[in-house]
Amino acid sequence: MINESAVYWSRALTELTLSFHIIYATIGVGVPLMIMIAQWTGYKKNDEHYILMARRWARGFVITVAVGVVTGTAIGLQLSLLWPNFMQLAGQTIALPLFMETFAFFFEAIFLGIYLYTWDRFDSQKKHMLLLIPVAVGASMSAVFITIVNAFMNAPRGFDIVDGELVNIQPFLAMFNPAMPTKVAHVLVTAYMTSAFVLAAIAGFRMLKGSKHVYHKKSLLLLMKIGLIFSIAAAVIGDFSGKYLAEYQPEKLAAAEWHFETEGKASLVLFGVLDGEEVKYAIKIPYALSILAHFNPNAEVIGLDQFEEEDLPPLYIHYLFDIMVSIGMFMMLVSLLYVVGKARGWQFIHSRWYRWIIVAGGPLSIIAIEAGWWLAEVGRQPWILYGLMRTPEGATTSDHVDLMLLLFAGVYAVLAVGSIVVLVRMFKNNPIEREIEDRHSEKGGDIL
Amino acid sequence: MTLEILGISVLWIFLFGYVIVASIDFGAGFFNAYSLLIGKNHILTNIIKRYLSPVWEVTNVFLVFFFVGIVGFFPQTAFYYGTILLVPVSISLVLLAIRGSYYAFESYGTRGHIGYTLTYGVAGLLIPASLSVVFAIAGGGYVDVIDGQPVLNYWTLYTSPFAWSIVVLSIAAVLYISAVFLTWYAHKANDIEATKLMRKYALVWAAPLMISALGIMYEMKSINSESYSHMVNLWWMFAISAVLFIVTVVLIAMRKKYGLAVGLLIAQFAVAFFAYGIAQYPYLLYPYLTIYDSFTSTQMAIALVIAFILGLCLLLPSLYLLMKLFLFNKKYVTGKEDNHA
Amino acid sequence: MQSFLIFYAPFIVVILGILCAFWWAPRDYHITKEQEKSRE
Repeated sequence: MINESAVYWSRALTELTLSFHIIYATIGVGVPLMIMIAQWTGYKKNDEHYILMARRWARGFVITVAVGVVTGTAIGLQLSLLWPNFMQLAGQTIALPLFMETFAFFFEAIFLGIYLYTWDRFDSQKKHMLLLIPVAVGASMSAVFITIVNAFMNAPRGFDIVDGELVNIQPFLAMFNPAMPTKVAHVLVTAYMTSAFVLAAIAGFRMLKGSKHVYHKKSLLLLMKIGLIFSIAAAVIGDFSGKYLAEYQPEKLAAAEWHFETEGKASLVLFGVLDGEEVKYAIKIPYALSILAHFNPNAEVIGLDQFEEEDLPPLYIHYLFDIMVSIGMFMMLVSLLYVVGKARGWQFIHSRWYRWIIVAGGPLSIIAIEAGWWLAEVGRQPWILYGLMRTPEGATTSDHVDLMLLLFAGVYAVLAVGSIVVLVRMFKNNPIEREIEDRHSEKGGDIL
Repeated sequence: MTLEILGISVLWIFLFGYVIVASIDFGAGFFNAYSLLIGKNHILTNIIKRYLSPVWEVTNVFLVFFFVGIVGFFPQTAFYYGTILLVPVSISLVLLAIRGSYYAFESYGTRGHIGYTLTYGVAGLLIPASLSVVFAIAGGGYVDVIDGQPVLNYWTLYTSPFAWSIVVLSIAAVLYISAVFLTWYAHKANDIEATKLMRKYALVWAAPLMISALGIMYEMKSINSESYSHMVNLWWMFAISAVLFIVTVVLIAMRKKYGLAVGLLIAQFAVAFFAYGIAQYPYLLYPYLTIYDSFTSTQMAIALVIAFILGLCLLLPSLYLLMKLFLFNKKYVTGKEDNHA
Repeated sequence: MQSFLIFYAPFIVVILGILCAFWWAPRDYHITKEQEKSRE
């Protein structure tokens, strides 16, 4: 018994909540590692600027954690409220990582609270820094566990179905499904990459506003290096994901690549516009799709022709794929040029226009995260549980979902505006120059 | 001790944890807003701020543990409760969102915007009210299944005296628990004025708590006679809880041993909460769901229990560390040491 | 090879990335060098 409008509105509300939550969740996973690297560098080189970096980033981080907690609880409950049939089935097979994700976050939240409130209480920086390890580990592990649940939706394993009943359930097999490694690794490295470029955008903006303080130069170089490392890692793991899709979810890859006929020596279609079944203005790189899919130029790649119409995801996901990949490549180039330019003394990386590009890098990375997740979720359609349950079958039958969509849209607007206002105010009221004076007067010591 | 009973008792402990920790959090928020209204905010604000700042994220996680856990151990509840609770739980979620964001924005950003503090305080009461509705629904009588789909009829729910007495009890409990706890916490921070004020609130809210609790038992008879008869033969548990309640109130009244009072308070609520839970046995949603027919497979149950035990071995020490560094740390409580980030 | 790339290689890349970030972070020689120059 499917309530058409409930299905439509449930999908809309879930997409809204996830699209909003993912921004704060990505920062929530990535920034703790940035804080740890900064504090570790500060401790190792005994350089007070890096310690200050960790402290200032932690202050802003609390705001994003607050909104992340709230929207995380929202999506946690909405999974059962909007998709009861799906959760009834998922509850029996993949409840374990959902349960462990809560533990991982709880662990992170406790140590974050302790870390924030014991800044100068310990005699050495080292002890205080050790508190960060459970925060960073907890943050990354909560991403790992929740991505395992998403991977399960794409590759359900660890159970059998005998006349409609789930039997012989192996919870660990369900967790270590084929989609898990590439998805989890890609989520982690893109979270680190995005957090690096978001923080770098702040440093770049501060420099554009005229701050000459060496603190910003150090933080920008540090963040560009981290951004470079993880954008390369993201591209490499992206390639592995292509190989996974070719073998386990061929229609998702075919739709993302607009690969219509099954053929060997398949060429990769970059950009382009779809007109019926005809791709126009695209750049076609011969053999590239076969290499991406099977690491061998003349391997056969399954095309859209192998599947019935109603089993195919919407073809617009190719645009999302292009957005994600181009931003990823662009940011890799920006950070590479900066790091090499710094080493070789090129001056253009200190120019205003280059700094504007770095500032644009923050929002661009978040757009790439959104495009990536829309690609992943829309790419799995028409299934909510690949091959087992179509999305309409999983949705709730209760009405009023449209009303709830309005309610939550209002709340997310308040949360978005609130967090931005607070972060901007925090950023404006506390330039680095003033904070260093406060630290001096507080400690009476002389630094630099 | 079958797996089903182990599963439901573990979840019930988590829910109880949430009731206590959230009551203190919500009550503190309400008293903070209330004192702002009557111009006494200078007394309470720093005590409440100092208690809340490192702890507020932890409150939310207890709730998430409960509902993720219940979906894990009893997947059928996802189907039944998911379908019927869309509106009530969404409202609670919106209130939680307002409160959660307020706290971070307030303590790290904007200073004392009165409108926001008031919404924070009021939300602090509406959340327990809206969440406690779920207890009423579980009691039965508001849900009927129409061709396989459970439907909640709002009208009978919102006009049922039983549901309203549960809501009143939840509000009274939130205020009473937080008042008693904050009396003790202010006493430890030797903030005389705050202790005096909180003690007054504790005594004010003691009576309404008892009245609404008795109201529920009376209403229960007409709603769900089976659970009511269970409650009657558990009378001795409710008696113990009543005795604990009286001793707590006496201790508070005589300004002695606030710490013991808090301990007895938690014991009182624990006994009453578990008695209520046992009275509902074996129903998760009367009369449709019992813990047996909605239980997950044994392999998943065992995996969940293992994950749960490992998780607790990780969490209890870290919670203890949090408490030791802040709530029970002499210097922190008296505000000598506030190395705020 | 294909299954190694799909199942194990991703985690190796993540760990290598994190280690590389920790190794490369303190090497801010170029900035400190610039600073000495600017102070003279």
